[in-house]
Amino acid sequence: MEAQNDKKLTFIGRKFHALGLFLLRRKAGQEVALFVRAFMSFFSKSRSFKTDSRNIILQTFFTGVEIFPILFVVATLFGTVVIIEVITMMGKMGFDDVVGGVMVVVIIRELGPILTAFLIAGRSGSSLTAYIGGMVIDSEVDALATMGVDPIRYLVMPGLIGGAIATFIMNILFSTSAICAGFVMTKVAIALTGNAINLQLTWDYLSTEILNAMTFTDFIFLVVKPIVFGSIITTNACYQAMNIPRDIRQVPKAVGKSVIQSFFYIVCADVFLSLFYFIDYFNEISKII
Amino acid sequence: MFDEALRLDDIHLSYRGLVGTAFSKPRALGFFESGLQLGEQELISGANLVVKKGETLCIGGGSGQGKSALLRVIAGLARPTAGKIYVFGEYIPPERLTALEIAKRQVGLVFQNGALISNLRVKDNIALPLRYHKKGSPAEIEEKVKMAMDLMRVRDYADMFPHVLSVGMQKRVAIARSWAMGPQLLLMDEPTAGLDNYNRRNLLPLIDNMRTLFKTTIIIVTHDLMVAKELGCKITFLTKKTLTPPQYFDDWLHGDTEISKELFRDLRNSG
Repeated sequence: MEAQNDKKLTFIGRKFHALGLFLLRRKAGQEVALFVRAFMSFFSKSRSFKTDSRNIILQTFFTGVEIFPILFVVATLFGTVVIIEVITMMGKMGFDDVVGGVMVVVIIRELGPILTAFLIAGRSGSSLTAYIGGMVIDSEVDALATMGVDPIRYLVMPGLIGGAIATFIMNILFSTSAICAGFVMTKVAIALTGNAINLQLTWDYLSTEILNAMTFTDFIFLVVKPIVFGSIITTNACYQAMNIPRDIRQVPKAVGKSVIQSFFYIVCADVFLSLFYFIDYFNEISKII
Repeated sequence: MFDEALRLDDIHLSYRGLVGTAFSKPRALGFFESGLQLGEQELISGANLVVKKGETLCIGGGSGQGKSALLRVIAGLARPTAGKIYVFGEYIPPERLTALEIAKRQVGLVFQNGALISNLRVKDNIALPLRYHKKGSPAEIEEKVKMAMDLMRVRDYADMFPHVLSVGMQKRVAIARSWAMGPQLLLMDEPTAGLDNYNRRNLLPLIDNMRTLFKTTIIIVTHDLMVAKELGCKITFLTKKTLTPPQYFDDWLHGDTEISKELFRDLRNSG
């Protein structure tokens, strides 16, 4: 079989074929293929606006709204800690002018998206794996396929798009509540302790500092990062679920793998996206020099 | 060749082909094939089968012989290590042998456990493939769903979830779901297991109706050899990893082969 196909191809074709085989035999390559197939299936012949939008909205609701309470608490506490620490430490060291910059880097640029993605991977990614994995065990996925219903379109696509949208919305909510509710909590902490930490904080000061420190790229990455992270989480979750052999004990294993590997991929993707900033820094440094 | 519904040509299947589902692994390239690996056990080796259009065929055999696995191969869910499959006279190359491709050619499969989608109500379960493939307007689909539910007499349970139904009921819903799609070739895995005598007796005329009215080709995997007698169809047995030539019930009953002595002993004694 392989020899026959080799004869048909030219030299360059053979090289590409070998490269494709190499990539598709790897797990990462298969996940990318699953992502592309899920995304392309959105435009397939059997699309229907009503059903699709309903499925996607349901998935967005499931991923986003139900996680909001815990996300709000985490964001508020995280924001409080960052605001208090940054302002007291930086004030002591005499770096008053970079307070906004540090807060933008910590909350909006780096840790906000990552913490949101971790929360969503832990809750929605794991439940997506368990749910599709259960369907695989009960041969419901097989039944879908024998009816001509593409499981990738029916199960993976709404999860993927809904997950990306929900992660985007949740990321914005995380940053907003970290700064706004964090500010309120800081004020409460100041009032309760009788300003033992000796902090002079006003909303005007905080908001102008942060808004001044935001650059155009920050706004772009506010959109790009969560969408990338959301796609990674849901694709990985569905990939792990679809590969479960017909054994019920493999489901918890797959759930664990799904969460841990999502964490890993998210951090890798974050480093990869941050390369953009590094290049930006180098340009600015060379300008100064 | 053109009046054939299904032709299996020298099918080999190893246990590896039965592991998991294959949806997340890209199969567009047919190059993942690697034949039989050293020391691997085969479940089916060299099975041949020809089913004519409109014919009904029963596949029998002891448990653990791979009857259901053979059905999964035909439905495209399990991948044979070697062999050719023709559906309605069309050769399906290994790289396109997926359940979706087979389902496009109007092949339906009724699973042994029904395999209903557990978060959908009975009527939505039946309507799901119709809605997905956009077979008619919403009113037409509803009409068809009602008809299917009436046929299998599950209409009283239309608003229930599958997990509150009994196994036999789930199976009836699954048959209704397959019927609603109007398949040309229907594969049934143990349709009568778990059904009481009353429902079993009602199911058989339904199968009979389907083949006379809609000219559906039906392949039934069953332990219940009386099904074949009542439907008057041929039986083939899966023994020693291969399929025997199909024969009618009476020929098996009075035959002189090892199979007929083994499997028809009780039936012979009881007369």
